[in-house]
Amino acid sequence: MRLVQGNEAAVMGALAGGCNFYAGYPITPATEIMEQMSRILPSRGAVFIQMEDELAALGAVIGAAWGGMRAMTATSGPGFSLMQEHIGYAAMTQTPCVVIDSQRVGPSTGQPTMPAQGDVMQARWGSHGDRAAIVLTASSVKDVFDVTRLAFEWAQDYRLPVIVLLDAVLSHMRENVELPPVPDPIARKPVAVREDQPAFGSHPFIPFSGSTRTIVSGLSHDERGMTRGAIGQDAEQIIRNQLAEVDRDYKRIVQFRRYRLDDATWAIVAYGITARAARAAVNSLRESGLRVGLLELVTLWPFPEQTIHELAASVQGILMPELNLGQMIWPLKASVAGLAPVSSMGRADGELFRPEEIVQTINRLDHRNAAISSVIGGGKHHA
Amino acid sequence: MPKIGEDLTSYLRQNMMPTVWCPGCGHGNIFRAITESFRQLELDPSRIAVLGGIGCSGRTPFYFNTNAMHTTHGRVLAFATGLKLANPGLTVVVTMGDGDALAIGAGHFVHAARRNIDLTAILYNNSIYGMTGGQEAPSTPLAFRSTTSPFGSIEPAFDTVELALAAGATYVARTTTFDFADMPRYIAEAIAHPGFSVVEILSQCPTYFGRLNRLGEAPELLDYERTHTFLREDAPLLTKEEMVGKLPLGVFRNEIRPEYTKEYAKLCEAQGGNYSV
Amino acid sequence: MYEEFSAPDPLCIRLSGRGGQGIILGGVIIAQAAMYDGLFVVHTQSYGPEARLGSSKSEVVVSRFEIAFPEVIHADVFLCLSSEAYLKYHKAISPRAVSVIDDLIVAEDGFPSEIFLPLRRTARNLDNEMTANIVGIGALTGLAHIAQPVSVEKAIREWVKPEFRDVNLRALEAGLNLVPHSAMTSG
Repeated sequence: MRLVQGNEAAVMGALAGGCNFYAGYPITPATEIMEQMSRILPSRGAVFIQMEDELAALGAVIGAAWGGMRAMTATSGPGFSLMQEHIGYAAMTQTPCVVIDSQRVGPSTGQPTMPAQGDVMQARWGSHGDRAAIVLTASSVKDVFDVTRLAFEWAQDYRLPVIVLLDAVLSHMRENVELPPVPDPIARKPVAVREDQPAFGSHPFIPFSGSTRTIVSGLSHDERGMTRGAIGQDAEQIIRNQLAEVDRDYKRIVQFRRYRLDDATWAIVAYGITARAARAAVNSLRESGLRVGLLELVTLWPFPEQTIHELAASVQGILMPELNLGQMIWPLKASVAGLAPVSSMGRADGELFRPEEIVQTINRLDHRNAAISSVIGGGKHHA
Repeated sequence: MPKIGEDLTSYLRQNMMPTVWCPGCGHGNIFRAITESFRQLELDPSRIAVLGGIGCSGRTPFYFNTNAMHTTHGRVLAFATGLKLANPGLTVVVTMGDGDALAIGAGHFVHAARRNIDLTAILYNNSIYGMTGGQEAPSTPLAFRSTTSPFGSIEPAFDTVELALAAGATYVARTTTFDFADMPRYIAEAIAHPGFSVVEILSQCPTYFGRLNRLGEAPELLDYERTHTFLREDAPLLTKEEMVGKLPLGVFRNEIRPEYTKEYAKLCEAQGGNYSV
Repeated sequence: MYEEFSAPDPLCIRLSGRGGQGIILGGVIIAQAAMYDGLFVVHTQSYGPEARLGSSKSEVVVSRFEIAFPEVIHADVFLCLSSEAYLKYHKAISPRAVSVIDDLIVAEDGFPSEIFLPLRRTARNLDNEMTANIVGIGALTGLAHIAQPVSVEKAIREWVKPEFRDVNLRALEAGLNLVPHSAMTSG
């Protein structure tokens, strides 16, 4: 058992996931990840480099991935905005890599040291064009370790830039956790390639080697990387296949935690650090006799549509608190599809929701519901 | 010197040809010169990676039968830095345009030079944005026209060589597509040089630069290159007036300084890590 | 003057002061000490964009159970080392909180229950005003039993750089000694 900071857990999770290349640019509140990587990676014969900006950081990461390394970067809002161009490039070129974004208040410089969850849509849709996406989040130091490790695994499996969203509180938060020992550095060994192995599409990621002659381009291309001719349909098909692949593995990728939901009449759906306040609120509401449960989302994208839809059928209403002015509420509403009323609580002032604020909102919603049902139950109709 | 017409096909990805370059464009000559330099150095195509940015020059990687990346506008040196660090045994050649390297990518250009990482940057300078149709570049000479400086540019142009020298590149050369015979030698020297090397090649864009500035077709533009440059070693023979408005050509720096991947290997070793690949 | 303090569960501790006063390190040391005592801990920190001089806050939640909400709303234990932080936080405490305030702070609207102790002055006497945080932690250890003194000592050894270890251990001792004997034994 050790007292571990969120950003440190991200480093440990990355090493557990085989990370051997880090390129970054300093930014609060993600900087500790970079600082620790700069101390650890050289002793593992792995690469650390501080680049001149965030675009360069992710560019170097993508170059390193094609050089055969498990590569990552970490940043926060302003840097994440800059990285969007290369997130798109990584998506178009199906390059496995991991991007951690420790969210802070925006837009622009905002409040560099204060938490937010305002990048949840940018993480999905931030780069121009369509792409498959996996976006994970975390609510505890142990989670940060787990999802960062998973991000490396899934980046390889699905050939995507996998994004991990933390926030300013979680990045700097310390908890006592048990983490597995850091594994030995992975040996880089040449990958055997068949001469006719296509480099893109539904084929495994094969980095550059002596036997490859891969041409990687951000232009639309077919599975052989050809950019000439009528490749529009081929390129669209590659993206469709990636989307379908992620959908097919819904059970594996879409992770969530059900907390006291089995007999719940009200559900809170929350993610990241906000889920901690929601859990406390559930406990307090349960003490007052209200049957409330929490669905905590660990995977934000792909969005857990089926799970939410099923949940909506079993409750009187759903509340989603989030540290933005209402972003994930949209896919939530779409997934609920009218089966239950949905309420949103948002803030973007740099403070966390306090448990009692969530308690008050649920109580208000419950009273209103009770009032409506007593009115309807009494057979009286107001004009 | 390689004989013109000697077989270079082992380096070429012929199914991607013909190239995108316009008739009369100088970029094909540079491409040919890079290929010649590979052969002169007897490089194994499986040990080369060619990377490009966005623009006419950025298409070069498609035509080499090597591992290749066509990256994003201006940022190719960042990708190249990551690839080289991942695989320091690889010969990494980067093709960039003037807008690519000196405008959107200027930040990356100076930092790659500052690090002195062993990459070879071939800067195709045609003084204009060709791919997007003839807009002003940071290399467009003062008073010259483009589609976004229709009344003549009022911005001074960057001097690539001065910039590269100031930023710390350890091999810096400039030549022109007129000096076709010299190109492979400069490029080969740059590739063989263990550090960040820059070869700026003044190239002609008859389609836009030539037309918009009424300078004529490729032959006139090549003559323009000849008359607006002089060999660096000839400088003592020339009067100040004879050098006005002309760019010097030749090798401006060729020296050994600590190279980034080697320094990083030492750092790892000092920390007990083994970076050797 | 000192009432007996029985620690609630969860126990919410807030340290506050200026950037550079070791507020965050102080929180880490308390969290580490409580962890040595076998408890669940969450430590959070909050500071302005400036690395130095802005206000700084560090919170520790300690419990025998897993901790849901990681931040402190009403502190059960409050330590304050700067006037700015005092104005900002001294009222956000629970009804029976233990508040230890540096006595160089001028508190015009203070609560009667606030305990003013010479934290910075004691640290100066140790020739290191930077140790005021640890003097304060020593006092809190005595007054509010935030952790076992041996655990705090062990946490200091773990987190403080070797060259400052001795002076911080002396600061801990001095902080413990600031608390009247009666308060230490009655708790």
